[in-house]
Amino acid sequence: MKRIATLLAMVLGLALAQEVHLMWSGAITGPTSDAGKYYAQGVEDYCRYANAEGLTGGLKIVCETRDDQYNNANTQRNFEEALERGDPAFLGYSTGGTLQLKPLIQEVGMTFIPASYHIGNIDPPNNDYVFLPIASYSEQVIALLEYIAKEKPGAKVALAVHPSPFGRAPVPDAKKAAAQLGIKIVEVQEMTKGLDYTATLKRFANEGVEYIVYQNVAGPVATMVKDAKRLGLNIKHAGAHYAGGPDLLRLAGDAAEGFIWVTSYYMPDEDVPAAAFVRKLGKMYQRPADTLESVHYPSGMLAAAIAIEAIKRAHKAGKPVTGDAGRAAVYQQMLGLDFDPGLAVGPVTYSKTDHVGVDKLRVLKAQGGKFVPVSEPFQSKLFRKVHYGK
Amino acid sequence: MTYFLQLVISGLVVGSIYALAALGFVLIYKSSRVINFAHGQFIAVGAFVVYALVAYLGVNVWLALLLSLVSTALLGFLVEKLFLKPLVGQPIISVIMVTIGLASLIDGLVHLTPLGGGNFSLPKFLPEGGIAFLGVSVSYPQVLAVFLTAVFLLAFGWFFQRSTLGAAMRAVADDQMAAMSLGVSVEHVFALAWAAAGITAAAAGFIVGTISGINLEGLVAIGLRVFPVVILGGLDSIPGAVIGGIIIGVLENLATGYLDPLVPGGGTSEVFPFLVLLLVLWFKPHGLFGTEEIERV
Repeated sequence: MKRIATLLAMVLGLALAQEVHLMWSGAITGPTSDAGKYYAQGVEDYCRYANAEGLTGGLKIVCETRDDQYNNANTQRNFEEALERGDPAFLGYSTGGTLQLKPLIQEVGMTFIPASYHIGNIDPPNNDYVFLPIASYSEQVIALLEYIAKEKPGAKVALAVHPSPFGRAPVPDAKKAAAQLGIKIVEVQEMTKGLDYTATLKRFANEGVEYIVYQNVAGPVATMVKDAKRLGLNIKHAGAHYAGGPDLLRLAGDAAEGFIWVTSYYMPDEDVPAAAFVRKLGKMYQRPADTLESVHYPSGMLAAAIAIEAIKRAHKAGKPVTGDAGRAAVYQQMLGLDFDPGLAVGPVTYSKTDHVGVDKLRVLKAQGGKFVPVSEPFQSKLFRKVHYGK
Repeated sequence: MTYFLQLVISGLVVGSIYALAALGFVLIYKSSRVINFAHGQFIAVGAFVVYALVAYLGVNVWLALLLSLVSTALLGFLVEKLFLKPLVGQPIISVIMVTIGLASLIDGLVHLTPLGGGNFSLPKFLPEGGIAFLGVSVSYPQVLAVFLTAVFLLAFGWFFQRSTLGAAMRAVADDQMAAMSLGVSVEHVFALAWAAAGITAAAAGFIVGTISGINLEGLVAIGLRVFPVVILGGLDSIPGAVIGGIIIGVLENLATGYLDPLVPGGGTSEVFPFLVLLLVLWFKPHGLFGTEEIERV
């Protein structure tokens, strides 16, 4: 009888709980859907888990994942729909979509958490309401250059970047950092997805390039490292968050051995509570093996966790969590957010001047078919020096 | 000199993959004057069928390729029967819109499977490394690409020149009304062309998947990348597809090798072949080997 009463109370509680909508708009299909698909699943699963485990402060968070097909117009439509409905925060995705929406985000004052770690998302102008979940691409690339400078002082480096704002984002800071580290950036090459990179690689080899640092997606990087192996080139490869990871291992196989990668997330097979939690959620919600292996799955979880925590805190503070007042209340909570959802290598901390959640990164290296950490979590001081001048 | 040779050889190899991907495009246009905007999706389906058979059912890679060729031939045949046949005699824009819709439909269907949106690669079935000569290196998947392109080219060459069905297809391509008056089943020819295009698409998908991994967007992109190839070679010319593919492949590589260092950020391989294409079309508006259609009033 007692059990039935408890169950009834829970069901009634959930039914009566205030509903708060939280939308994610990203590429479940179309370009970059190899990341977006798993990111969306991460958002969905963390949301279900948070509701089921009472991590929402008595609210019922209704998460919606929308496929914008990597199309900015669709992202904007979804954002406007969320705005009209009174959502207090928005989970975004692409660099282009975020940069395009920045003026509107600023105008309406909606907390916006993208999957793009472009530093321009949180740089002025119109940067008050955009919050990166983890360190920016610029900081990631500089962290790699710092690692390279330690491994091979005075190394000759080529940057191979995606031909888009996403790819070009870290280039100016990387050039400044390289000058300070005594590294020579020989060339910045924009590279799309191709079938053969012999010409690029041979040219790099002729220029004496020793390291290629990628700010790209895993597909072209995999072909590049495979071609470099076939050509027998003595060049090492390193990449920022979206350039490496399990996707790269799957596509490049043995050729990825030795690839240096930087990210703020744990690997799915690591023996740490964060990875165990991600595996638990994946199994709980019957996700396939490729989801559990993807680094984009915990990335989606982290974005959802940040937004839900801010909404919960606003609600607990007795503030409204929907409409204009809800947006303002959630934003105020974001500015002081300091918590550890246990999904990345450091806690999430935001302030008025710091719009990067997890400030720490780790360098990993592909060894024996998996990425293993070769550094402790750290923050790049050099990034702050070259980007902010402090 | 070795550098130049490497760029040219690599360009030839990439060009032969473009040619293989472009063959199906040309086959359809040649017989039915339809531009198939879903060709990239056919390429993707071919690669995914091979991967699914190998990864989920443990089928041998070569047998999987064979089954994939059959599957995409069947897909092409069914697409023609279900979607294109009712449009015979309708404005060409309607047909084009149907192929664009078909592309979206196939994209959506692939995304409903566990394969949509992921990155996959076939298990190793070729030896490591590749062939090296005169300081030039070509990987085994690339050798396979050249071999498959040559096989398909010879097979289609023989088919069109020597077989009765091939002659019927040529007749339909030349003049549909005249062919019909001679008792050639135009409907049958159209369906056969779509099936043949499906076969070449699967072969191209298999090769691209082997070289750069299996991902829907990447495979579909190859289908779009062959547009300049077929326009350069001539939309209705099989030798044109091969030569156009090779020219584009070599130009891309030479641009990367020699022009990229002169341009900040590089990326000239994306532009330079199009400049050459524009130049060629200035003098040869129907492409290098396309049929020059002269209408007299």
